[in-house]
Amino acid sequence: MKDKKLKQWRILRLIALGLCLLTFTPVVIPKGVFTPELFGIPYSLWTSFLITVALVWLTYLGTKVHRTDEEEEVRP
Amino acid sequence: MKTWILIFGLIYAGLLIFASLKSYKKGRSVEDFMLAGSSIGMLLGVLTYAAALFSTFTFLGMPDFFRRHGVGAWIFLAVSDGAMVFFILWFGYHIRTRVRQLGFRGVAGLISNCYGNKWAGYIIFLTAFIFLIPYVGIQIQGISIFMGAAFPGFIPSWGWSVGIVIVMLVYSEIGGLKAIVYSDAIQGVLLLTVLWIIGYNCLSAFGGLEAMFDQVEMDNVALLSTPGPEGLFSAQFFIASMIAIVMIPVTQPQLTTRLVVMKSMKSMHLMAVAVGAFAILVITPTIFIGMYGASFLKDSLGEYPVAQQANAFFEEVFLYRQPNAIAALALVGLIAAGLSTTNAQIFALGSELRGLLKMEEKMVMRITKIGIFIFALIALLFSELIKDQIAMLARVSFAGTALMGPMILLGILSRRKVSTFIIYASLLGLIVFLLSLTGIIPQNYFGIRLDLILFAALATAAYISYQMSPHSTQTN
Repeated sequence: MKDKKLKQWRILRLIALGLCLLTFTPVVIPKGVFTPELFGIPYSLWTSFLITVALVWLTYLGTKVHRTDEEEEVRP
Repeated sequence: MKTWILIFGLIYAGLLIFASLKSYKKGRSVEDFMLAGSSIGMLLGVLTYAAALFSTFTFLGMPDFFRRHGVGAWIFLAVSDGAMVFFILWFGYHIRTRVRQLGFRGVAGLISNCYGNKWAGYIIFLTAFIFLIPYVGIQIQGISIFMGAAFPGFIPSWGWSVGIVIVMLVYSEIGGLKAIVYSDAIQGVLLLTVLWIIGYNCLSAFGGLEAMFDQVEMDNVALLSTPGPEGLFSAQFFIASMIAIVMIPVTQPQLTTRLVVMKSMKSMHLMAVAVGAFAILVITPTIFIGMYGASFLKDSLGEYPVAQQANAFFEEVFLYRQPNAIAALALVGLIAAGLSTTNAQIFALGSELRGLLKMEEKMVMRITKIGIFIFALIALLFSELIKDQIAMLARVSFAGTALMGPMILLGILSRRKVSTFIIYASLLGLIVFLLSLTGIIPQNYFGIRLDLILFAALATAAYISYQMSPHSTQTN
């Protein structure tokens, strides 16, 4: 159970890191380009908005698999 | 408007008095006073962390950032905040584990203990002092400018600044960290409410989201993409900003303390998620306010010199173009934002000072309180001297303190007695960064920002320090 959680936590870390790195590439910040728009929102804004929501969601998932006080206290 | 200011001001003052009296406990221990008994629950935790993080800088700086530099401002703050809250899960666990082993008397004291070297603590304290004081000063200045605009000629601007500092000192003296946490909670709610009301008004002026971006496209199309009209938002700027912001819980003592004083690890985890959601909620309306300034105030602000445009923008959009009651609420919200953040930062400096003092606890407490008073006075002095863009000053503050990140992280994570090499490398990094800020040395080398180079160099120095250390037990 503990190994499974650790593996899940590692996967979440990789996804979070990947999303952060993606933000700095032309995939999210193409120079001087604001299309395609989504509901009129410029490209870099809506893509980065989705990345922010994804990071917060990953944080939530992280709370389910990351170690907590209780587990720490029973460790030798 | 003055009547509304009086009404909202009295309600806010009443809540502050109630909170400080509720926090005051006769015969309280030093731990109660400085660390709120380490029993902050999830809801209070979210609001106090968010209020310490989203200060006058969010209230005033972010709308101005969107107005001047465009939509990339979202990546600068919101994406970085998303990364920061994820990082809190990991860092919060490790620092709380370390605190259980070594106790907590401020970050400087903790890291001194981790390294068994007092210089580690001194350097952390010095960095916090250098970068937090100007930031506090500019927040005090921001409030006094607004008060001056609302009550022209009533008292000089420095009079408002002195008033703010007195309230802050009295308040923290009575209630300690718990009172600050309560005032943060009030500010968090107020900040969110005011920004959404004003943001909604700004969005309505355009006639909706799509109409807003259509209008901005006509007025200044460069605002809709990166790097923005002034070319600020390069990939390098975003990377350096993200590192600086992700390091905030590690290197800004007022926020590290808030992770430590949470009741449990579970509360801290949930707090991290909620802070992320709060970040999205609080930054979104600043887009609308900024775009409003870029379109509707383009011509009127163009008449001011660039250095004065930000203040003129704030006064116009928060005070003059809002109904009286909203403008009054904005003013009280701004005071609350400035007060809680300055309070948190000055109190944290006091807490850091306490961690470095080794003497009888009663004497430590007395010196800490005198220290808090002196820090507030210095910040007051700075508030009269500094003239800068608040968002950029905040960023410099984050970047400056972030330089201590590798040293702090290594101290917390390592179970070996770590070589002191990283301590002196961090001091050198700090000196180089300060030289670049004062213009003595350049801020770019081979096209790379100095803050990025320094951070990479210090991370490498941390690795070398670790490798130079004698083996004992394994690290995390």
